[in-house]
Amino acid sequence: MEWMMELLKSPPGLSNLSTFLILTLPVLSIVLGFVTYAILAERKVLGYMQLRYGPNRTGGRFGLLQTVADVLKLLIKEDTRPKEADRPLFILAPVIAFVPSFMVLAVIPYTESVMFANIGVGLLYFIAISGLTTVGMLTAGWASNNKYALMGGMRSAAQMISYEIPLLMALVGVVLFAGSLNLVEIVEQQQYIPYILLQPIGFIIFFIAATAELNRTPFDLPEAESELIAGYHVEYSGFRFAFFMLAEYVYLFAMSALITVLYLGGWNPIIGLGFIPDLVWFGIKFSILVFVFMWVRATLPRIRPDQLMEFGWKVLLPVAMLNIFLSAILKEIFF
Amino acid sequence: MNGEFIAFLILSFTAILGGILMLNLKKVVHMLLSVVLTFVSLAGIYVLLSAEFVAVVQILIYSGAVTIILAFGIMLTKHTARDERTSNRLRAALVGVGVLVFFFTVYGAIDNLFFGPGAEGLHVENTQQIGERIFAHYVIPFELVSIVLLVALMGAIVLARKEGEENK
Repeated sequence: MEWMMELLKSPPGLSNLSTFLILTLPVLSIVLGFVTYAILAERKVLGYMQLRYGPNRTGGRFGLLQTVADVLKLLIKEDTRPKEADRPLFILAPVIAFVPSFMVLAVIPYTESVMFANIGVGLLYFIAISGLTTVGMLTAGWASNNKYALMGGMRSAAQMISYEIPLLMALVGVVLFAGSLNLVEIVEQQQYIPYILLQPIGFIIFFIAATAELNRTPFDLPEAESELIAGYHVEYSGFRFAFFMLAEYVYLFAMSALITVLYLGGWNPIIGLGFIPDLVWFGIKFSILVFVFMWVRATLPRIRPDQLMEFGWKVLLPVAMLNIFLSAILKEIFF
Repeated sequence: MNGEFIAFLILSFTAILGGILMLNLKKVVHMLLSVVLTFVSLAGIYVLLSAEFVAVVQILIYSGAVTIILAFGIMLTKHTARDERTSNRLRAALVGVGVLVFFFTVYGAIDNLFFGPGAEGLHVENTQQIGERIFAHYVIPFELVSIVLLVALMGAIVLARKEGEENK
């Protein structure tokens, strides 16, 4: 997509603005397609891991249209709003939660040619923008005027800021080796050795912190059904609820893609298997990660809030610092 | 009028709008969100000035961390707090005059200001340059800042401890 790089450098104007708007449509449709089938896959994987079938009625034997039917149901549902809710914020909150999740997709390089914005600080951009979603969740929790929702919102905020620190610390190792914050350069540096081999500790820390950032089991305290009903989105229904769900799965997409880029070598093939196209390699690595996220969800129980905080601050953070130290030594000696 | 100028107009408008909303809204949480609007618009202006690193850090620290700490502060105290204001005609008029005087003073001062030709190549590897500058030329100030922050952190712990003991 050379023409796209040129387009990014061209002077802004109405025609360019509309080109960019049109270019986002295929991304949006790919992401929506991913979300539709990720939800189905998640239910299927969870089902088989719990010795049941999962959805198998709507859309053939494999329930292929189950999510489509669910989304249709959500869209035609009555849009309820609590009487005492803060009206403007209640409407604004799903928007604040969803928009950053879509914005982060812009910097992810899928292959050498399929990428949208190749910016110098791509890695930090991803982390910074994804932090904005917390504000949306907090707003949703507060605006609903519901104790459970408020507690869910607060928990999500506390969890996100606690786990963002080990997440960033784990990234320092990768940045040390790559010598750049640019995601494309990070991938190019991994042509022979993916960073998962050089940074095994960093990878594990990053994966755990990413699970916490995604609010997935075992860290799904903000929406713990048994104690908080559904957390910050308990008062939401219809398409507003759909937006929260969508944001969650778009983040699953973005986070898996980011881990692929950072630790699994992005589009780089395993040496000797270069005849398989780049995009397929990316897809394979990405799908394995998505599956692992589902696997973890099916396997581990939810942890308590105090365990969550203790684990984040007393275990992950010191280990992440140790990882930086080890990476620096490794880099000094061998590279 | 080029695109950069339009973007600057929009961003500065939203930044000022956020500030005005923050002063005029009644609920504390609404004020918080309008501050976020200002922070994000400022980050946009940094991008226009080809300082992506500063822009991203602005979002990471201000819109992310600072906002959430403020939100915790609000919710741990009186989260339904409302601002009650009394209006005073005379005071409003005086403030208005003050604002006008200030505007014309500043306008007069910057009207004919000339900064020289704009720096070139600002966008070339600026993150790397920031890193090199900080760790090569400004190491001691950088370390001093970290000590100041550490002192603040310890001070906060000491203050919080004292309060807890008094409660017992």
